[in-house]
Amino acid sequence: MKVLMLGWEFPPIINGGLGIACLGMGKALSKHVDLSFILPKVDPNFVVDRVHLTGLDHLPLGQVRRITEELAAPSETLYETFAEVDRIEADLLPYGAERETKGRSEIAVPRSKPTTVPPTRAAAAQVRYATESLPAFAAGELYGDDVHEKVTAFAKASAILADSREFDVIHVHDWMTFPAGVAIKQRTGKPLVVHVHSLSYDRAGPDSRGWIYDVEKSGMEAADLVIPVSKYTGTIVTGHYGIDPAKVVPIHNGAEPVEPYRTKKAFPEKLVLFLGRLTSQKGPEFFLEIAAKVLKKDRNVRFVMAGTGEKLKPLIEYGAYHDVGDRFHFTGFLNKQKVNELLSMTDVYCMPSVSEPFGLSALEAAQYGIPAVISKQSGVAEVLTRALQADYWDVDLMAQHIVTLLTDEDEYQRAVDASLEDQKNCTWEAAAERILEAYDSHLSLCTLG
Amino acid sequence: MPDLCIYFQAHQPNRLKPYSFFDIGRDPFYEADDLNRDILNKVSDKCYIPATKLLLDLIERHPEFRVAFSLSGVFIEQAEHHRPDVIELFQKLVATGNVELIAETYYHSLCFRHSGKEFARQVQLHVEKLQSVFGVERPRVFRHTELIYFNELAHFVEALGFEGMLAEGVPALLDGRTANGLYRSPNVRTLKTLTRNCQLSDDIAFRFGNPHWPEHPLTAQKYAKWIAREPGEVVNVFIDYETIGEHKWEETGIFDFWSQMPAAMSDAGVNFATPSAVLDNCEVLGTYDVHAPTSWADTAKDLSAWKGNTMQSEATKKILTLEAKVKAINDPDLLHQWSKMQTSDHFYYMCTKGDADGEVHSYFTPYPSPYEGYMYFMNALSDLQIRVDRLSEARP
Repeated sequence: MKVLMLGWEFPPIINGGLGIACLGMGKALSKHVDLSFILPKVDPNFVVDRVHLTGLDHLPLGQVRRITEELAAPSETLYETFAEVDRIEADLLPYGAERETKGRSEIAVPRSKPTTVPPTRAAAAQVRYATESLPAFAAGELYGDDVHEKVTAFAKASAILADSREFDVIHVHDWMTFPAGVAIKQRTGKPLVVHVHSLSYDRAGPDSRGWIYDVEKSGMEAADLVIPVSKYTGTIVTGHYGIDPAKVVPIHNGAEPVEPYRTKKAFPEKLVLFLGRLTSQKGPEFFLEIAAKVLKKDRNVRFVMAGTGEKLKPLIEYGAYHDVGDRFHFTGFLNKQKVNELLSMTDVYCMPSVSEPFGLSALEAAQYGIPAVISKQSGVAEVLTRALQADYWDVDLMAQHIVTLLTDEDEYQRAVDASLEDQKNCTWEAAAERILEAYDSHLSLCTLG
Repeated sequence: MPDLCIYFQAHQPNRLKPYSFFDIGRDPFYEADDLNRDILNKVSDKCYIPATKLLLDLIERHPEFRVAFSLSGVFIEQAEHHRPDVIELFQKLVATGNVELIAETYYHSLCFRHSGKEFARQVQLHVEKLQSVFGVERPRVFRHTELIYFNELAHFVEALGFEGMLAEGVPALLDGRTANGLYRSPNVRTLKTLTRNCQLSDDIAFRFGNPHWPEHPLTAQKYAKWIAREPGEVVNVFIDYETIGEHKWEETGIFDFWSQMPAAMSDAGVNFATPSAVLDNCEVLGTYDVHAPTSWADTAKDLSAWKGNTMQSEATKKILTLEAKVKAINDPDLLHQWSKMQTSDHFYYMCTKGDADGEVHSYFTPYPSPYEGYMYFMNALSDLQIRVDRLSEARP
């Protein structure tokens, strides 16, 4: 069986968790099926065994010419309707990634290389050639802030590329690739699987409506199978987006196994960690309030907020207002090595996300044997079932949970054992098998023969 | 015809390095040594050396020329370490007898409100430093960091034995009276206050060299005319020494301006006076009643440059609350390190004001934004707290 996946991020060009998930899932699935990816950008030096990667920024010249010619011909496909929706806010970066601001500020540097970094000169020339006929690309920056144009261009080019591919299933990841998936389904009649890693609901709340919402909804409606990364996200898919529950199959993400280690802290206090982008979705203000409450009861705790985002500066001032600046530390953006160093000395992980489709970081913390206090509004709460949970807004209960873990040694040990055990079941191999089962049951394809 | 009383402030802080969370408990050194050395070298080459040579030359050619200086303790220390040539020039300058040294807090700090005892210690430390480096008598006049002044402080300074104190002449508090003279806080007996003429001081400190200023270019002759037609017995022009050559580069003509100053004043009939001479010769004009602290910083002329936001309030409070613990440990190095973190510049860098004030703050800050300034300070402070606690526990 052959699976064609469409993704938006893929290591090493990543912004949030999407690229990591695509890699983990791809590696595990490739043991069972023929797997290829079409992506807007790839790093040609990054090779994955048995996974064929195609980047629109690294197309063979012959294909570029062919795509250009086909795009020049008139067509009436779905994605053209998206191209007409041209006046939307310029702030539609995927996952609300903050734009790089001017200056030498280390706290303004984005988490990682965003997908919108300019391609190399050669690659830019190629892609510009490939999309020459599109008026939206005739002038201006190719990789500017106009995500909708990139999404449309990606849809058109992927659809043409797909014509010459053999595959049984189209499997697409998040809204940026939905129009492409729908277009390919229309052209080929192959079944469409949409994988939901994150929704505009998570980033903007229940009031979110607009172009991205429309893309998400129409993509899920056109799909034969919708795979949200958790039951929590599944309820949003069926509730907020009104998708038929019969075709919604939640499948939890896996976590790449790590080699956890412990470092001795250089200070006597216990350490409570928050790790993530400093955006409303992740609930950093709640973490600060939780910290202030815990510190009122126990001064022998340090809190670390690792990551950066548009909330960083207000959060720093809010911390000073709460008078916790000598116990509550901001690190700014940290690379993987520093994150691991931090995990190796962390006592409690706290994830008070307002809406978290999955929450891989809590699972990664569990791999380090760190008990987590997590919000009920998260997918990972379904996996780490014995982790202490509270509603994201219930800072009193969150604080109480943290104090319990920090003061009750038996309770702490139970939580460590439980999280180590819970995370064991969370592998990409298990996720891949469930994906194949869902293909079988919902797409009438025999994959597990 | 008033006299002209010129006073220069020279100061360099010990800026902190980007001290991260990961350094806490591991790295007991907080200062950006290379950066501090480089800045001192740069300012020495642009200002301290050429300006001091110029003043020496002017005093030789115009024996009536007088100026006053306050050199912060941390500045003297840095210069002794990295630029002994700067110290030598200042020693020569003081030896001319035409230069009066003024006392301040050694660490250029803001501790008075928190602890009179710590304030007095730092003043004494500064006085001793001046005596040992320059061989002078105990200064008669005091100035607090960035000309901070208020009644309660004036009273305290009087009790420390000073006869005069410098203050910003805040127009609203002078209430129509001239700044050109001596005043007295209502709660002191003998201490006299020299009020800074903001207009004429800022003509040099801020407006000099600005082509958009209608009075540009300002010549020494024009300036002397302005001084000569001022009311009062003495015009107090108090500015940063770094104005000469550093805040105002040589290209602005600032060196020419100063080199012509003594002759221009003498042509206009203006005499020079040191602060002590003003105390001895001028009359107290009236009461200068300052309840809330004033300073020469920012347009607000209050403490908001250092205590205007929550980050600054928290940082100033938390460094000062360590006093009892630090002093109980009785380790001179630790005490010195803690004291250096009281230097007002650390809090100045955390200021989030915008507009013209914000521009001045960002001119001085070594950090990309006030938030880094706060983060690094608080991380270093956390380390200091841990060390203090460990040393306290280790004590019998």
